[in-house]
Amino acid sequence: MAAASSSDSDSGRAESSEASSKWLDAHYDPMANIHTFSSCLALADLHGDGEYKLVVGDLGPSGQHPRLKVLKGPTVLTESPLPALPAAAATFLMEQHEPRTPALALASGPCVYVYKNLKPYFKFTLPQLPPNPLEQDLWNQVKEDRIDPLTLKEMLEGIREKAEVPLSVQSLRFLQLELSEMEAFVSQHKSKSIKRQTVITTMTTLKKNLADEDAVSCLVLGTENKELLVLDPEAFTILAKMSLPSVPVFLEVSGQFDVEFRLAAACRNGNIYILRRDSKRPKYCIELSAQPVGLVRVHKVLVVGSNQDTLHGFTHKGKKLWTVQMPAAILTMNLLEQHSRSLQAVMAGLANGEVHIYHDKALLNVIRTPDVVTSLCFGRYGREDNTLIMTTRGGGLIIKILKRTAVFVEARGEAGPPPAQAMKLNVPRKTRLYVDQTLRERDAGTAMHRTFQTDLYLLRLRAARAYVQALESSLNPVSVTAREPLKLHAVVQGLGPTFKLTLHLQNTSTARPILGLLVCFLYNEVLYALPRAFFKVPLLVPGLNYPLETFVESLSDKGISDIIKVLVLREGQSAPLLSAHINMPVSEGLEAA
Amino acid sequence: MYDILVISSMKNLMCYCSRIVVTCEHNAKGENLIMTPLSVKICSPAQEFPILEKQNWLIHLHYIRKDYEACKAVIKEQLQETQGLCEYAIYVQALIFRLEGNIQESLELFQTCAVLSPQCADNLKQVARSLFLLGKHKAAIEVYNEAAKLNQKDWEICHNLGVCYIYLKQFDKAHDQLHNALHLNRHDLTYIMLGKIHLLQGDLDKAIEIYKKAVEFSPENTELLTTLGLLYLQLGIYQKAFEHLGNALTYDPTNYKAILAAGSMMQTHGDFDVALTKYRVVACAVPESPPLWNNIGMCFFGKKKYVAAISCLKRANYLAPFDWKILYNLGLVHLTMQQYASAFHFVSAAINLQPKMGELFMLLAVALTNLEDPENARRAYAEAARLDRCNPLVNLNYAVLLYNQGERKGALAQFQEMEKKVRLLKDSPSLEFDAEMVEMAQKLGAALQVGEALVWTKPVKDTKSKHRSASASKAASLQQPLGSNQALGQAMSSAAAYRKLPSGAGGTAQPIKPPSLPLEPEPATGAQPTEAPAQIRETQE
Repeated sequence: MAAASSSDSDSGRAESSEASSKWLDAHYDPMANIHTFSSCLALADLHGDGEYKLVVGDLGPSGQHPRLKVLKGPTVLTESPLPALPAAAATFLMEQHEPRTPALALASGPCVYVYKNLKPYFKFTLPQLPPNPLEQDLWNQVKEDRIDPLTLKEMLEGIREKAEVPLSVQSLRFLQLELSEMEAFVSQHKSKSIKRQTVITTMTTLKKNLADEDAVSCLVLGTENKELLVLDPEAFTILAKMSLPSVPVFLEVSGQFDVEFRLAAACRNGNIYILRRDSKRPKYCIELSAQPVGLVRVHKVLVVGSNQDTLHGFTHKGKKLWTVQMPAAILTMNLLEQHSRSLQAVMAGLANGEVHIYHDKALLNVIRTPDVVTSLCFGRYGREDNTLIMTTRGGGLIIKILKRTAVFVEARGEAGPPPAQAMKLNVPRKTRLYVDQTLRERDAGTAMHRTFQTDLYLLRLRAARAYVQALESSLNPVSVTAREPLKLHAVVQGLGPTFKLTLHLQNTSTARPILGLLVCFLYNEVLYALPRAFFKVPLLVPGLNYPLETFVESLSDKGISDIIKVLVLREGQSAPLLSAHINMPVSEGLEAA
Repeated sequence: MYDILVISSMKNLMCYCSRIVVTCEHNAKGENLIMTPLSVKICSPAQEFPILEKQNWLIHLHYIRKDYEACKAVIKEQLQETQGLCEYAIYVQALIFRLEGNIQESLELFQTCAVLSPQCADNLKQVARSLFLLGKHKAAIEVYNEAAKLNQKDWEICHNLGVCYIYLKQFDKAHDQLHNALHLNRHDLTYIMLGKIHLLQGDLDKAIEIYKKAVEFSPENTELLTTLGLLYLQLGIYQKAFEHLGNALTYDPTNYKAILAAGSMMQTHGDFDVALTKYRVVACAVPESPPLWNNIGMCFFGKKKYVAAISCLKRANYLAPFDWKILYNLGLVHLTMQQYASAFHFVSAAINLQPKMGELFMLLAVALTNLEDPENARRAYAEAARLDRCNPLVNLNYAVLLYNQGERKGALAQFQEMEKKVRLLKDSPSLEFDAEMVEMAQKLGAALQVGEALVWTKPVKDTKSKHRSASASKAASLQQPLGSNQALGQAMSSAAAYRKLPSGAGGTAQPIKPPSLPLEPEPATGAQPTEAPAQIRETQE
């Protein structure tokens, strides 16, 4: 919290002194046309020439034309279309041989495309999932024409209801069909074996057996069927398989596969599961009660951004260390690692167009960007060690270089009082008039009080008299007599010259219906014409609202309006039960004409 | 309820799905969506079915980034491709509907999801959540129970069940469920809800226990810290209250509730300047808070800036016209300013809103005495004496009025009543009587010839009273001749700090000068303003 509040002053400082900024603006292209996520960005020395390139798995402007782009400096080196949207991109060393050029892996759909020297090298496809044996059996029977489509449908529905293993797409599609379409569908598809295929949702790399920077790494894949797979870097066989309670979204790995490793997987159910080498199931679980939007490991701390605009720090055993409130929603997160100063920090791209850099809960730096940053990546680019690459929502590309002299200093631990404390309270000043009145009240308070009280009594008396008079002459729209408790409410609709007048009459008694009521309109016949000025009301059932409609024609063309009185009468009585005065609106239809 | 739901939605499944498809078809201008048998025949027999979950990850990424437009576009595309079979796309679509406030639509979509995969507890949880948001708590409970069968160890189900039971006022069941939730996994929210149950049942001690545990579990949660502080404040454990409020302010120096509560405690101790500086922060963040302006007003009152006090209180009153505490304070300040007619209006307005408080009637009586209406003043005092349980001032003031009117007998009765209350109050250790009140009572006792009142044996803190009289020396010049009603009013303004009444709510002390006592020709009246009933409203929330 303290850090969050100091962010204002800090960012203010960053803005005020562009010269003292820690970053050099290397490149900004608002029209770079790169639409991607942080997981699809990777920096690597792809050609082994010491010149680091940026690999972008680009989703295309509206997720339509996925492309693999490789950037060198500010320019696009190569660009090749992809068969499906890329979910993640990673670079890794496949083997020990020289030259040690890293391979590029791109996860897309059910496949991982591996490129070497930017040439397609290998395509790994996730193994098919085992189909439901019952389902398989049913389709086999269909194949031999032993059951008809209708039975098949019933049986499949039964399986869907109970089975642990979900149905294949073929069966699900079949269940959707109309009776008439079933036959054709079955005859077309019965010969095919049913398949269940899953897709890759996330991917990361894990060192195989050495902790070195340039050691051979395995690929770790998260799949839609709630599994984690570790692939062998040379043979692309599955080395290990772990299952999760939910679908993984972000992965964070530390350690080596052959020695010991820890895997943190942020999942779609809002939990983060932590697994270790020998555990097939999660060892620890962090329940966020919100959706994670990013997962970054800083040394031994797992930093998680949630979609409730907070950044949390957790230990490897799932114990919460700290929480920082962000000024806006977090869109993306990534690690900032400055090897020269052995600094590790978390970068968070926020929806207000800022990138905040945190070391634990201390805010180190704020970068303002011209557009909302949607993906972030920090590392060696070209020949520059500390480069920050950002892409924006509008498809822009921003490249900044960290100055070599720049040192991130943590904001003061103890934040001073909030700036609002120095503001003056807005208290109105006393006026001459106020002082005069106060003095007068002091002098003549008693007299004022007495006069007021007398007038108040008089006012109350008058009000009471008027009320009694109204009650006596039934001038009110609610009748409270024991025999006819009634409520009247009138609505006028229309612009004129013809209006629609609707009387809503309601019998408010609990049980007794009312019969024999009459409605009468009193109006100026020069101004208005009504088809019926006097009619009978049907029997009123208690509680129901009876709308009685009538049309009113305005005769005057002078834009005059008048009052129409509505009287509700009882047959055989001259005094009305209740009455209403309707203020008619001016006829606008005539005015316009 | 639930069974029916699912069955009905089972039947409706086709139409939901087809409806989705239809909308997609419409948007895609009818391209490649035609799944009539004809088109199937045209397709090669080797036609592959698309993978249903192909773009789930993309939908999810857009969803968590709150980029709902992009998310909807992908969902539409996905549903179009899979003919409405992609469960996750429907699920997220439903979540977005719910965020947009279309709860009914979201409920229907969640039910569709529940049909597509009946074994998934998550879908049922969302169905229940939507039912809960629609206010159908009983139905929600049934669906949650159904979900609990599928997933035994989910704290969220237990927690939400607990919350549903709270709304149904079945606190025992709610209590059990929330404890289950805590057992499965501890979350701040569960603690808050559990504390709420105890508060609803009026069990402050248990609520404090819960919040203590919660603070232990998550020591940086300012909401928990503030609530715990306010609870301590309500119980009068000021040391601990201040500690927790202070902690809350360390983590969040702009916490509105904590500042207000801490400020009101500072006011109680007379630290008006410090309290005012703290209030500035709130005034910036929540400029339209009635309790804030009330407290600021009473700070100014404490600093004897009466005009500023009145303008702040009037602002508070404008923002919350039906808050009797603000009206009470306005009445008090106007009495101090000798604006008795205005005071009368504010106090009588307060009485209309809060007719059960003795002190209000006492203030009304003081105003009426000064407006030369002793008849009504007596009636007001009688009402005040009837309602009040523990404030000896009410009886003392009443006795003074009766004495002034020459009714020694009635005065004596009230005096004895006052002594009784004083004896009761003496037992509470934190209490100290105001020096002026003691003095006044002693004088009245002498005048009524009841001898030395032994009730006052508990020594009044000398330092404090000395300080008072010193600070009040200026006000002595305003003194009117004793015995007149003016003098009585003047005495009203010399109400002194007397906050720690067991009754708690805005105790005000107002020792009144004994009228026409020949013994004392010129008393040094301290125009010591009342330490205002600093209002701690949040405690009640």
